[in-house]
Amino acid sequence: MQTEPTVTVDPVSLEIFRSALTAIAEEMGAVLTRSGYSPNIKERRDFSCALFDRQGRLLAQAAHIPVHLGAMPDSMAAALATFDTFAPGDVVALNDPFAGGTHLPDITLISPIYVTVDGDPLLIGFAANRAHHADVGGMSAGSMPVASEIYQEGIIIPPIKLWEAGQPNRAALALLLRNVRTPDERRGDLTAQVAANRTAERRLQELVERYGLATVEAHGEALIAYAERITRATIEQIPDGVYRFTDYLDDDGIGDRPLPIVATVTVQGGTLTVDFTGSAPEAAGSINAVAAVAKSAVYYVVRCLMPPDAPMNHGTFAPVTVHAPAGTVVNARPPRPVAGGNVECSQRITDAVLGALAQALPDVIPAASQGTMNNVTAGGMDPRTGQPFAYYETMGGGMGARKGLDGLSGVHVHMSNTLNTPVEAFEYAYPMRIAAYRLRDGSGGAGAARGGDGLEREIAFTVPTEVTLLTERRRLAPWGLHGGEPGAPGENLLVRDGAVTRLPGKVRFTAQPGDRLVIRSPGGGGWGKP
Amino acid sequence: MTQVLVGVDTGGTFTDFVLVANGSVRVHKVLSTPDNPARAILQGLAELGVGQELAAVVHGSTVATNAVLERKGVPTGLITTAGFRDVLEIGRQTRPALYDLRVERQPPLVPRERRLEVVERLDERGGVLTPLDPDSVAAAVAVLREAGVTSVAVCLLFSFANPAHERAVAEAARAAGLHVSASHEVLPEFREYERTSTVVLNAYVAPLMDRYLARLEAELPPGVPLRIMQSNGGSISAATARREAARTLLSGPAAGVVGAAYVAEASGFTQTITFDMGGTSTDVALIDGAITETTDGQIGGYPSKLPMIDIHTVGAGGGSIAWFDTGGALRVGPTSAGADPGPAAYGRGGEAPTVTDANVVLGRLIPEGFLGGTMALDVDAARRALAPVAARLGTSLEAAALGIVRIANANMEAAIRVISVARGHDPRRFTLVAFGGAGPLHACELAADLRIPRVLIPSTPGVLSALGMLAADVVKDYVRTVMVPAAEAAAVVESVLAELAARGQAELAAEGLPAERITIEPMLDLRYVGQSYELVVPYTGDMAAAVAAFHAAHERRFGYSDPNEPVQVVNCRVKARGLADRPALPRQPRDATARPEPTMHRPVVFTGADGPEVQDTPIYDRATLRPGATFRGPAVVTQFDTTTVVPPGWGGTVDAVGNLILEPAPREGARDAD
Repeated sequence: MQTEPTVTVDPVSLEIFRSALTAIAEEMGAVLTRSGYSPNIKERRDFSCALFDRQGRLLAQAAHIPVHLGAMPDSMAAALATFDTFAPGDVVALNDPFAGGTHLPDITLISPIYVTVDGDPLLIGFAANRAHHADVGGMSAGSMPVASEIYQEGIIIPPIKLWEAGQPNRAALALLLRNVRTPDERRGDLTAQVAANRTAERRLQELVERYGLATVEAHGEALIAYAERITRATIEQIPDGVYRFTDYLDDDGIGDRPLPIVATVTVQGGTLTVDFTGSAPEAAGSINAVAAVAKSAVYYVVRCLMPPDAPMNHGTFAPVTVHAPAGTVVNARPPRPVAGGNVECSQRITDAVLGALAQALPDVIPAASQGTMNNVTAGGMDPRTGQPFAYYETMGGGMGARKGLDGLSGVHVHMSNTLNTPVEAFEYAYPMRIAAYRLRDGSGGAGAARGGDGLEREIAFTVPTEVTLLTERRRLAPWGLHGGEPGAPGENLLVRDGAVTRLPGKVRFTAQPGDRLVIRSPGGGGWGKP
Repeated sequence: MTQVLVGVDTGGTFTDFVLVANGSVRVHKVLSTPDNPARAILQGLAELGVGQELAAVVHGSTVATNAVLERKGVPTGLITTAGFRDVLEIGRQTRPALYDLRVERQPPLVPRERRLEVVERLDERGGVLTPLDPDSVAAAVAVLREAGVTSVAVCLLFSFANPAHERAVAEAARAAGLHVSASHEVLPEFREYERTSTVVLNAYVAPLMDRYLARLEAELPPGVPLRIMQSNGGSISAATARREAARTLLSGPAAGVVGAAYVAEASGFTQTITFDMGGTSTDVALIDGAITETTDGQIGGYPSKLPMIDIHTVGAGGGSIAWFDTGGALRVGPTSAGADPGPAAYGRGGEAPTVTDANVVLGRLIPEGFLGGTMALDVDAARRALAPVAARLGTSLEAAALGIVRIANANMEAAIRVISVARGHDPRRFTLVAFGGAGPLHACELAADLRIPRVLIPSTPGVLSALGMLAADVVKDYVRTVMVPAAEAAAVVESVLAELAARGQAELAAEGLPAERITIEPMLDLRYVGQSYELVVPYTGDMAAAVAAFHAAHERRFGYSDPNEPVQVVNCRVKARGLADRPALPRQPRDATARPEPTMHRPVVFTGADGPEVQDTPIYDRATLRPGATFRGPAVVTQFDTTTVVPPGWGGTVDAVGNLILEPAPREGARDAD
């Protein structure tokens, strides 16, 4: 046993390790983007990559998609709670929203990272990445259904070792792939996810080789404290006080009553607490969020107030407390359906927290943005290949106006920033056509600064296609601030034989050849009197 | 009689000239004339005393680049398929920053009222779903003319699969007197947003290039051919550049990489990483036998899918400012002191501590040797600027300066890792070619961090771009999307590649190249069925070999491959190359007795075992270092536009072409007597 060398951490070495660890998480993302199969991964970057220390504390997470901010540590914790030991080459997979997951399409893979010390493997940390798969089975192609229990939403993967000591667990893999509509694509995505973790493994090993384990670990520790200092300094800029705001989900897709989300934000010195007591009880439909999603939404808002390249690790959100009462729409219990929690409920939680903070920081917080991701899933048989297809896409819309600055038009807001599928790529891949893709004129709320306009995307069907829409802000418009007007709510229209039918926000139907589906996403709210 | 060639690179401050004749190289600089860049060019040529005997002038122009960066292109219109005029504005529906509540986006180069639609629609195989409605074409052209548009981009869906509709629209617009850029001509490749953006970039700048080059050609000595540098590192005739100006948008940095590769090759190194560190930004590129290209480039935030040298740029350089963030870490950049006021040491009122100031405090930038002594460095100002950093760190000024340099190097290292390690290249196989005002200052320490075994400082690091123009082949790139399974692709690939190759042959012949100097490089963009990114592999007439090359490339790049997975041919590409008659760089015999004489000795600070260590360091004037000269670090080599730092433990030698080669010296107990 060697004696531990003394390690000094100073402001210079801190910066060097900050950049080295972040670069590892970013390189993982580059591998996933370039080699993934699901459009959600390759075209739309709906994934997150992170590095953990050997105790399972987050060391670095790349800025890929905000809705995973609070969720990655929960996945790590679930893996640690399930398994006592990890061998080199093990890969833990999970998607169970009630055990470290968020919603079923997001499959997380976690790999232990080892170095060899005196001939023995020594665990030094973990690499993890979570990616949105285009289909994980369940009642609707694309696995974003309007469901009434989680069993309808797809296959549930509790934390299991999908690879053991480098060898695939063939039984588990076969069971998983037999339960999804597009198994080849799933296998390709999982392989890309493993490759991303392997990249992180190599890079962390190289870092240890270069600087020594003691130095790397001391800096991991120092970076956690460093991140916490930055967050505290950020929160200290917010006036102390208690701020409350209530926003509403349109409905849960089964009933038609709005569901309140109540955010009570308490700022005291360098700490911030968000309490969601008073929010609607968990819903019958798929709009529920799990607690990890509620945390992500709160963390996202805090992160927006921080400096542009603030580090993301275990310390970042230590000064932030989230209280999401179990059994509410922001912390549902099994077997509630939760497919829409990530994509829809998360946006409304964000709106509620921002609404509360607008009272504390009136010049900083923007008016409400579109507040939805406009989820469209479609599936059927592609006559060109004789194979089933599964399509999933989300749509941008109007961003809320800012003080003295219009909201952006036709962009993803807050919890998402995924790319669209190019029209030409879409038509190569699926037996459907895009008949129009344009900005939705006049949908942004008027104001001293205007809300951004939503989008309009018109899909023409050529074969019988099972379609599911999971959309929000179809009834209740994104709000304006300081006298600005609300943005226009979104619209879903079905054109069949020349007749136009207005579809509900959450709906499943079978489209016939010749049908057209027109989706209009909401505009953003205005800021200040017009 | 050997031919006389001139490379001319228009830069922000200077227009650089490199003249090659009779095996000799002459370098010349004149002040740029931004109002009319041609004036500086004509002045320089006159001062060099060359005229009609010129075999060619190869020119890197910033006319198109600046027009985009400053948004000063011509009033441009866009014609699209009905329902899709907003594609240009929507882009990929993302916001450029995730966590910025005041995020903004670049406004599109064509505003909405000048984006018009025509009624037509094709399917993905080029079949007509809706015929082109001529009335809608006439109406769109009329609106654009009315709006005062002079240049129009035409980009219809799936036009690469069947250009008939797009051609008809283009003809109507040309007939109306508009300058037309059509997407099936500029970039017949799928993904409508990136294609639209590329063709709009072309429409936005082509009339300006047309005007500028017409004037320049008219004023050059009669009969002297003018060739223009492209972003892909090759040149094209001025006539082509006038039509396809978007191909020149990043020609300056591209020529720098070509120049660096050229001088490194002259020294026998074909695997290089170029490292061009300036005041506000740093460019790095990787050359693994051939220069790495990308089709995922952008300029000023606007995507261009035209092939360009894969240059990775980071916003950090000598002017980057050191600061403490709210968490207490020392940071360097991204804010820069720029050129004005610049680093504190420039004495123009700058007070913020920059990387340059740190180098001054360390004694690495020699006040008398900076810019040939034409600009004094204010050492006291640099020390004053660094004092608060040292106070906060609780260290000496020198330790603070070393910290700033270390962080700057870490930023540079990250940039180089993106283009090397992250793409499956081991830096230990490469030579680091350093240039730019600050590159050679940092190169050895950076190489040590990356375990790059060798650093090369070109003999004329300040005019590498102009030199690269002389070494550049004439290159034309062609692409067409085919999208077929590899198993069924042979026939269509053969026919499309043959057609592209024939175009390449014909167009290079039209540029005056004899057949024996033309090479055709067919390539395919392949991916596994279901993926969205392609890897480019060479095509040798054997589809199975191309597919095997793809599996291998995928393994190298992503760490896995699956020979059982079906592969898809996305695009066919042809690179038609007219081989340049590369001037040989003059060589001098190495003189082993050439003992370098330091001009002076200075205390310079290096990193020792226990922090900063001051070493009495010889300072050499590059001009006096003759081929064969060898020396050991620590040393500093000064020349007009750059300074090279050779740390202790490194050795330097000047080779036959005058390049300075630096390598870690084998450790020895005793130093040579000097």
